[in-house]
Amino acid sequence: MITFSNIKELIFAMKREEKLLSEMFIKRKSLSFSYDMAMRMVNQDKARIEFLINRSVLRKNDHFLVIDDMFLQFFENILEVNEEINISYVNENLQHIKDNILYFFNERNENRKYSYLRTIKNTFRKVGDITVRNVIDLRRHVETTFKNEPNYKNKKSKLEHLDQKRESIINIIQQTEQLIYEDEDTFFRAAVDDELNRLVIDLKLKLSESMHNLIEIEKQIIDYLNQIKYQSGVVKKLRKIKYLRDQFIIEAETNIKDVLNTRSPLIFEPNPSYPLKLSLYELQNNNDILESIKTVAGRINSDYRSKPELADSISEEYLTSGVQDNMLIDLLEINEGFKTTKDDLFTFIMNYEFVKTLSFEERVTVFCQLVSQYDTDLNITEDYKSVNNVEYVLVYTK
Amino acid sequence: MEINTPKYTAEIFETLSKGQFISSNSTNKFIRTLYSILDDEDNFEYLFDYFNSINFILEKGDQYFYFSRKESKTNLERKLEIAYKWIDILDFLKTYDNAFGPGFKFSPSEISIRLDVDVDLKTKLKGLRRFAPKKSSYIEVIKKIVETLEKNHVVELENDASQTYKVLSSFTYLEELILTINIPEEIADEIPE
Repeated sequence: MITFSNIKELIFAMKREEKLLSEMFIKRKSLSFSYDMAMRMVNQDKARIEFLINRSVLRKNDHFLVIDDMFLQFFENILEVNEEINISYVNENLQHIKDNILYFFNERNENRKYSYLRTIKNTFRKVGDITVRNVIDLRRHVETTFKNEPNYKNKKSKLEHLDQKRESIINIIQQTEQLIYEDEDTFFRAAVDDELNRLVIDLKLKLSESMHNLIEIEKQIIDYLNQIKYQSGVVKKLRKIKYLRDQFIIEAETNIKDVLNTRSPLIFEPNPSYPLKLSLYELQNNNDILESIKTVAGRINSDYRSKPELADSISEEYLTSGVQDNMLIDLLEINEGFKTTKDDLFTFIMNYEFVKTLSFEERVTVFCQLVSQYDTDLNITEDYKSVNNVEYVLVYTK
Repeated sequence: MEINTPKYTAEIFETLSKGQFISSNSTNKFIRTLYSILDDEDNFEYLFDYFNSINFILEKGDQYFYFSRKESKTNLERKLEIAYKWIDILDFLKTYDNAFGPGFKFSPSEISIRLDVDVDLKTKLKGLRRFAPKKSSYIEVIKKIVETLEKNHVVELENDASQTYKVLSSFTYLEELILTINIPEEIADEIPE
């Protein structure tokens, strides 16, 4: 097997086959990426595909091509889209930390000591990230399994399996905590390093957050399992009852009669109607009801025709026409006339020649009406005069 | 605490006294309002006594309310008849989908499509034909069944355009009814799976 000779070559190859690899990565679930399709992506250049196959980036399976598992995992891990919750990986890392701590203590050379410390720090960072990712994945898995898995038995065993995964994650968290708090306590005291301290604190926070999440997930799984149990319980029971019912032995073999006897919900009753008597008062006085009565009568279409009742003849005096005169004073005209004089309004009205003779009181009324209606056109002063015991304000044109 | 007759008591009575349910997950905002009134503990206690004095027992289920009576007004025969009807309908619906329960969404046309590929479902639907007028087509029978469910407020039309129905929480009542029926063990063993 040929391997890439250096990282540069690898990255260059990835860059060159970017189109093909991204397309294959997207379709990794469907597992049917044919050789011909791949050829089209590389401009029919067979050598390019062979190059990838030789370096184990792709694997050829009959007429199909798949991305090699190692690369696929690498891509999935980097892009955080891995479906599997991988616990062994964390386990390995923990062992790795332990080993490196041992090397660290045994090493006398400062430079090498430092390199071990760096490895330990990197691995710690990884452990935290992976645990959090695992918890997130687990949560998503639980939800999707419950909501989307159509097969009942599979759904149940998948959830149970996820529950085991949850326990393993808790186990790992506890192991990690034990490593930090107990097993390697000396190391954390001996290796005085700010970054390490920060990483460990960060890890502790991540772990405790994950723990809280896991407790919540456990509740969720139990709830889902109970729901499934209830649902499948209902279905099983229903099938049995239905069987007995189809055999016409349900009444004899089960306590259905007792059950129904003890219950009397309204759902078993025919829809009630409440035939209330109509209110006579409303019938006589409400016009809307008259319409309804007419509609109903029309529907019944009875032959009965009500005889129109004849009213008495109209008396003569309603028919003779009488004339009544009403005097109307044209205030506008008076106002227009007033605009041409220099008198005050009251004197003007007193001297005004109306068509009909007006009494003093009537003239006072006209005065008041004019002042109130045309107050904007008039100049109302603050001086007063009085005539016949009537005190009036002096009003002029503007 | 002294409380007055809660709002909408008349509407609550009208709905429940027709043998309908008031469910928490109704799509009808008004029904949800009625539910929230009943869900209040003080209101529930008050209304329980209130309806009790006119011989209705306000019953609380898991996310739904309904009325029952102290003394049954219907005879056992009628109850059995209705219970059988529910058993048949439930059996049909659970055959259509095991998960048929509160929150489930379906449309009559979806069910009818499944008839062609599921002989079991088709046979069961044939058994339900007696609930629909004679010579009804399959889809008409399904619609008739859905109508029955809708009338009792067990399902609700959620989307008029797509004719999608939603199963309400009152569906649990029917499931619980099934679960309460006790089959003696020796009989249960004889029933084929």
